[in-house]
Amino acid sequence: MEKACIDINELINVFSNTQGSIYQSDKLNCFYIDFGGKFARYNCLSLQKLKKVVENIDVEALLLNTTKADFELVTFNGCEHIYLLSALEIVALKELLQGTFTMFKLNYMVNDCLNRLVY
Amino acid sequence: MKDLMRIKCLISQDIETLLNQQIKKEAHSSSLYLSMSSWCDQNGYDFSADYFAKQSEEERVHQLKLFKYVLDMGGNAISPEVSGIKTDFAGFREVFEDALEAEIAITQSFKNIASKCHKEQDFVTMEFLNWFLKEQREEEYKARRALELFEVIGEEGTGRWEIDKHVNKITYSEQ
Ligand SMILES: [Fe+2]
Ligand SMILES: [Fe+2]
Repeated sequence: MEKACIDINELINVFSNTQGSIYQSDKLNCFYIDFGGKFARYNCLSLQKLKKVVENIDVEALLLNTTKADFELVTFNGCEHIYLLSALEIVALKELLQGTFTMFKLNYMVNDCLNRLVY
Repeated sequence: MKDLMRIKCLISQDIETLLNQQIKKEAHSSSLYLSMSSWCDQNGYDFSADYFAKQSEEERVHQLKLFKYVLDMGGNAISPEVSGIKTDFAGFREVFEDALEAEIAITQSFKNIASKCHKEQDFVTMEFLNWFLKEQREEEYKARRALELFEVIGEEGTGRWEIDKHVNKITYSEQ
């Protein structure tokens, strides 16, 4: 199903690490996160929100807290997806999202040079 | 690849975050001035109470101006939580000292955002900020002038009564 979606919508792989991938669909103006056994669709705003939520998780505190399991629920209001992630997975998702947004920045610069600033 | 983030929003995430922090600071200023107004009223400084109530309203307008800009540019404007507002002041003079301190902090904060705009070459936001930078001239001037009344008039005798009467008359003009 995932493979089919990638083919049909001509998804562009924005960034990947060992744990997952983030794709962009130019056709549908949205993103897909392939992570934690889930293939989930996001728009611009919800992707930014997810990044903020993940970045705000204090992984160190999670590991040091002995009264609680080292798992964290990752979601936010209005998000259709919920992730139950271990500390290691949180670090991986954080990296995945940060890598993706770095690629966005790069794409922005490339777009400026190739399209917007040429005359 | 389409630049989806840029299509959605004119300002960067960093600028958006800074502007949201500023929205919170303006909300904080508004609440602080209201708190000062309350203190002045309860201690018999009627004119100062009016002065601070008006300042509070102005700060609310600043907050909304920033709020609208973030939304107009396609960003996510966040309605801020405000807490920890000082409600008790050691004396009449301390109220004005705190007011000037708060305005200085706001000026510094705007300078900080402006510096980020220059770094990112976000001249659109920079142009928007110019209004606030100019406004801070007046805000600091008025706060400083008010505090100077304590030196000029002096607090002894009917001094505080006299100071209170003059606070409302402070105006700023460029010429
Ligand atoms: Fe202000
Ligand atoms: Fe102000």
